[in-house]
Amino acid sequence: MIFHKKDRVYTDSELMQQIVSGDQSAFSELYSRYKGRMYYYFYRMLGNSAEQANDFLQELFMKLIEKPESYNPAFSFSTWIYSIANNMCKNEYRRRVIRREYEQFEATEPRLDYVDDTSIEPEQLVEKIFQTLDLLGEDHRSAFLLRYREGFSIREVAEILELAEGTVKSRLFYARKIVAEKLDYLKNEIEF
Amino acid sequence: MNKKNHEQLLSSLLRNDHVGEPDKTIEDRLMYSFLLQNSRSKVKQNSFGNFFGWIFSAQGLGLKIGLVTLVLFFSVFNNQFTFEPAKVIGNDSISNQRILLADSAHIIQNVDSVRKDSLY
Repeated sequence: MIFHKKDRVYTDSELMQQIVSGDQSAFSELYSRYKGRMYYYFYRMLGNSAEQANDFLQELFMKLIEKPESYNPAFSFSTWIYSIANNMCKNEYRRRVIRREYEQFEATEPRLDYVDDTSIEPEQLVEKIFQTLDLLGEDHRSAFLLRYREGFSIREVAEILELAEGTVKSRLFYARKIVAEKLDYLKNEIEF
Repeated sequence: MNKKNHEQLLSSLLRNDHVGEPDKTIEDRLMYSFLLQNSRSKVKQNSFGNFFGWIFSAQGLGLKIGLVTLVLFFSVFNNQFTFEPAKVIGNDSISNQRILLADSAHIIQNVDSVRKDSLY
């Protein structure tokens, strides 16, 4: 067909500009790109709760629908959306402290056993890693997730978490260290 | 194993981790919300809000000043540009205008000739 419009893959930033002008297909595309990543981030940041991860995912994209113009195309979209997600998690932690759920969380916190079995499944290992990261708090966990799950650079992680690059590096170092100390399996694999 | 390798190990562990998929109804709800939001914004586009916003903002200040200057120029000096050649501007007794007003003292009373005698 002569006038067939060639399908073009738009960047996240271009999709956001189309969303500002009311293009629903652009929103659908952007949601498809990020739903899995953001769901995983919320799931791991909010204590492995699928229900909360779904709620936060919806709230995040509702913010995007209500104020798409708040995104500055001069900056990376992924950095921007993760910084919003991180702020939402921070607010949730504050609410939990107010509700004194934190104490309950500490009381019900599973005891972390050392893993000596080298034949441990990767899924179990990841769970153990996150249990270890729970001991450090959300700041270390978010840096760890953004760096090793999402593959952001140190500079981008610092931008998302609104921290100095040196702080991010030290948090990642400490997180790796504590994970290696707690998990014998990783202790043999990770050297410092 | 060096630092790079253990970072790769952690990355591969986390990237292969699956925690399930988000609820599919979320997408439907979001699409509906998008439609609602979009319909609201379209009404907004048809309003004069944007125009008045532009008028009272600092955008295009030179253009606005130019327009206001033109309007003032034509409104203040407009009288200088009116020419009416048929109108004689001068003091001429012939062309003195009479003021025509309804005055009962100046009403001319018509006298009927038939009934003229009866008046005396």
